[in-house]
Amino acid sequence: MKLENEDALDNLIICHECYTLHEEVAIKDGTKALCTKCGSILYRYDSRLVDHGLSLSIAGLIFFVLANVFPLVQIEILGHEQFITIPKTFIALFDNGFYVVGLLCAFLIFIFPLMIFTINIVLFALLKLKKGKNFTRELLVLLSHIKPWSMSDIFLISILVALVKLIGYAQIHMGTSFWALILFVLIDLYITKRIQVSEIWMLRKRLFLSKGHR
Amino acid sequence: MIDVNEDELIRCPTCEAVNINKGQDNTCRRCGSSIYKYMHFSTQKSWAYLITAMIAYIPANLYPMLITNQFGVVEGSTIMGGIIFLWEHGSEPIAIIIFIASIFIPVLKFLILIYLLISVKYPIGKDKKVDKHKMYYITEAIGPWSMIDVFVVAILAALIHLVNVEIVAGTAATAFAISVFFTLLAAHAFDERLIKENN
Repeated sequence: MKLENEDALDNLIICHECYTLHEEVAIKDGTKALCTKCGSILYRYDSRLVDHGLSLSIAGLIFFVLANVFPLVQIEILGHEQFITIPKTFIALFDNGFYVVGLLCAFLIFIFPLMIFTINIVLFALLKLKKGKNFTRELLVLLSHIKPWSMSDIFLISILVALVKLIGYAQIHMGTSFWALILFVLIDLYITKRIQVSEIWMLRKRLFLSKGHR
Repeated sequence: MIDVNEDELIRCPTCEAVNINKGQDNTCRRCGSSIYKYMHFSTQKSWAYLITAMIAYIPANLYPMLITNQFGVVEGSTIMGGIIFLWEHGSEPIAIIIFIASIFIPVLKFLILIYLLISVKYPIGKDKKVDKHKMYYITEAIGPWSMIDVFVVAILAALIHLVNVEIVAGTAATAFAISVFFTLLAAHAFDERLIKENN
């Protein structure tokens, strides 16, 4: 294969599921390109990626705050009322001396999701303003390192499993935060699964580095 | 003009940019992070994390995950004990979820990683009947879901602490969390280029 220079490698893409090499082709706005071998999504094209990303990250952060300040679930057991919030789940682990699990949970369900959304907001805001060429690179690297460690979706399923275990022992009331968490997880899934980091890299390239070429 | 062999193209594990494989010291041309810098240790790092994870998985299954204290009667239940209890008390779907998350996924991940780590060193599975890239992708995708049981224990422990009835996390919770953590690290440390080199 002959290439003009190293930058021409940007027109190539390796499928993240089966490692097949593809050449990138221009596709219509709002459509996606699929891998010819395994059918997974290679990339999408969204002409308003920055606006979509920015608005969804802000909405996500708002729901994240709501999901953390109100009670998640409230139970009535033997005449006593108890409720939990997201921070309370890992603080309770610390109180019981489970520092390792507590620390891990704090990172997986609180610190990393919060970081991802804060980074996304700053990143998309900078891209919108077309500023911070080097800073956006640092942010994107950091983002791809912490992305696999955010587990809000798994935590949501865990709440449901825990509640099913309690059926019959206690009366269960869903709190405000539970609904906020569902919305947060939906936005989180959309942002982390649908907007791939490689698409933001391509967008950044179009914004900052295309002057010399086209 | 530069001439490259298609087999020499690799994907940056951080930003997914396509790079030319230059051997030992690869720095991604787009994000600047080093691509599998510890090439000369090739699989050792991944093996080390994997073995740690497997060792931690033993106490995770032997010690109680959840300790219930009801009116002074203290009772611990292991992962398998909890699954059997749920199955016998009519919550089969939940028993299946916990079984998949706490037993099936971790064991499957251990087996796939062991297979991948051995197959990149020794000539097995070379007939390309199995797509090793796909297998690796699957381990990365399903791995985090084994955290379900740890989160469930955390939620129950935070929710149920009354005067007479109390649930606390058991030793296995720490062991299990460590095991999941190190399996994730082992998967991340695996050098995907090795699959290609051995095919």
